[in-house]
Amino acid sequence: MTVIYSLKNVVKERLIDGVGFRLLVPEIQISAQENIALVGHSGCGKSTLLDMLALILRPDESEEFNLHPVNGDSHDVGRLWQRDKQGKLSQIRKQHIGYVLQSGGLLPYLTVRENIELPRKLLKLPDDDSINSISRVLGIDRQLDKLPGLLSAGERQRAAFARALSHRPSILIADEPTSALDPVTAQKIMAVVMEVIRGLKITMITASHDWAHVYRMELRTLKQEAEAVDDGKIYQSRFTD
Amino acid sequence: MAQITNIIRLSFRDYSHEWRMSGCFIMALASVLAPMMILFGLKFGIVSTMVNELVENPINREIRPIGSGRYNDAWIEAYRNREDVEFIIPKTRALAATIQLKSDSARRILSTELLATAAGDPLLAGLSSLPQDYYQVVLSHSAANKLKVKTGDQIDASLSRQFQGKRERVHLVLNVIDVADATVTTRNVAFVNLDLLIASELFKDGREVSDLGWEGNSDDSMERVYPSFRLYARSIHDVENLVAALEKEGGRIKANVSEITTVKSIDQNLSVIYWIIACVGALGFSFSLGASLWANVDRKRKELSILRLVGFKSGRIVLFPVLQSCYTALLGWLLAVLVYLAFEYLINFFLAPRLNLDRALCFLLTEHFLWALALTMVIAIFAAIVGGMRAARIEPSDGLRDV
Repeated sequence: MTVIYSLKNVVKERLIDGVGFRLLVPEIQISAQENIALVGHSGCGKSTLLDMLALILRPDESEEFNLHPVNGDSHDVGRLWQRDKQGKLSQIRKQHIGYVLQSGGLLPYLTVRENIELPRKLLKLPDDDSINSISRVLGIDRQLDKLPGLLSAGERQRAAFARALSHRPSILIADEPTSALDPVTAQKIMAVVMEVIRGLKITMITASHDWAHVYRMELRTLKQEAEAVDDGKIYQSRFTD
Repeated sequence: MAQITNIIRLSFRDYSHEWRMSGCFIMALASVLAPMMILFGLKFGIVSTMVNELVENPINREIRPIGSGRYNDAWIEAYRNREDVEFIIPKTRALAATIQLKSDSARRILSTELLATAAGDPLLAGLSSLPQDYYQVVLSHSAANKLKVKTGDQIDASLSRQFQGKRERVHLVLNVIDVADATVTTRNVAFVNLDLLIASELFKDGREVSDLGWEGNSDDSMERVYPSFRLYARSIHDVENLVAALEKEGGRIKANVSEITTVKSIDQNLSVIYWIIACVGALGFSFSLGASLWANVDRKRKELSILRLVGFKSGRIVLFPVLQSCYTALLGWLLAVLVYLAFEYLINFFLAPRLNLDRALCFLLTEHFLWALALTMVIAIFAAIVGGMRAARIEPSDGLRDV
């Protein structure tokens, strides 16, 4: 399998006067079509790592941070951040990554259809039936002309998945996408999403604090370990295979 | 280009979706801008009206000598050619410039002052024709009323003199070619051609006027000298200089200098007061608008982060709040103009008549409205760019965590 993410000694710190939190990724490799779960308690750095993988958060240090999308060129993400090439990072993100936020993150002033269409419009992809088909699969085809505010929490998350997948990215990143839903709805949605991403051969990286959910979905987990360093001033969190 | 088109579409959709909030921003802007426009409209209207009243009323531009002087034709011509002189015409001695008028419709004989007139006379500016020969006259409103005549009527004019021990009287039929407006003068005046005024003086001095068949001593064709004149400055701003020039020649001059100085002083004082208020207002307006638009950008941080997440570049993201600020500026200005126009109508329709003003008390020119729009836009865009750049600099992940 092709390695799409390759990280070595990637660090992100949130310190005030030398006291605070440090996320350390000693070494991680993520292959194409793998489905990964970052598991850990709240505040352990799951979202921080996801944001770095989604190219929306600048790492403070990185010995190696490479991205090799299945259908695109390889990119030295660490170097792009160092050179502050935000336009290039934005271009890579737009083309290869879909992101689902904890609360959906739909734009409230656009209809569900317009929200889903947005990534496609930015990539100037043709108006085909893909919006309707993905909406049918996710069960929101009757909600397309409504504003997000009129949807249930479950429908909003389905719409968020539809937006993240509409432009057929090779990577889907989901930050606790079902944490605000009841277990039954969450299970239903994730079952459908897993079916879709397997069908589209997409690599999914998700964060969760629910071990049962991770085992049920048969996801490869990145374990989190924590320790106090620098005389207890820094809470250091490490994600390893 | 696709990103710019999308940003324009999205910014407008968001703006209309949040119509209540947008409406509040628009009203907040209008509530600061409209009073400033009304204030400026009043200042501009009041002062312009006063200045126009002074400029347009020739009485205020009239300069006349006190007592008798000696002014020949060359002197009159020299002043006529000055840039700051609108009109000048000689006057004869007061006693020689009186004529008796009689009409068929009125019993009384009216002793009337003769004033020479000619083309360009500001006192008779509204009239279509002026006396061209000895036989035409324009009567003042008062004289026409007393003689009960109107335009087109004929009147008998007579002059009398004591000549060689005998009392003599000559008659002349004058055609009333027009009647001056009541505002021109309240006196009984007959505006005639300069030739008739001179003829009257010659007759009274016992000289002959061959053109009219009036006998007397022959005119020894000495250079004609006038004791007085009627002069109008081109504008109120020229009066002071003209008075100074005439006084320098040794004449004692009367003009409405004090009234003009008063209006100029009022204009200056009102301008100073206005600009103090306007500067304080504009400063408040800038801070108020800037702060509200800044706050709006901050409020939009989450949504701007989502736009960056789906792939919009930072530079394009700045456009989002800038465009929304432009919508607020344009609509706020439009609302302020409507509010201003409503107040302008109320002030001019209800207040101006109470102050016996037949002119607008409050008004603005088109360029004033455009200046207000330009100022509003500049402040709005500046505030939004500063706020938008701040939002664009924030890493998208920071804004996303709150969504």
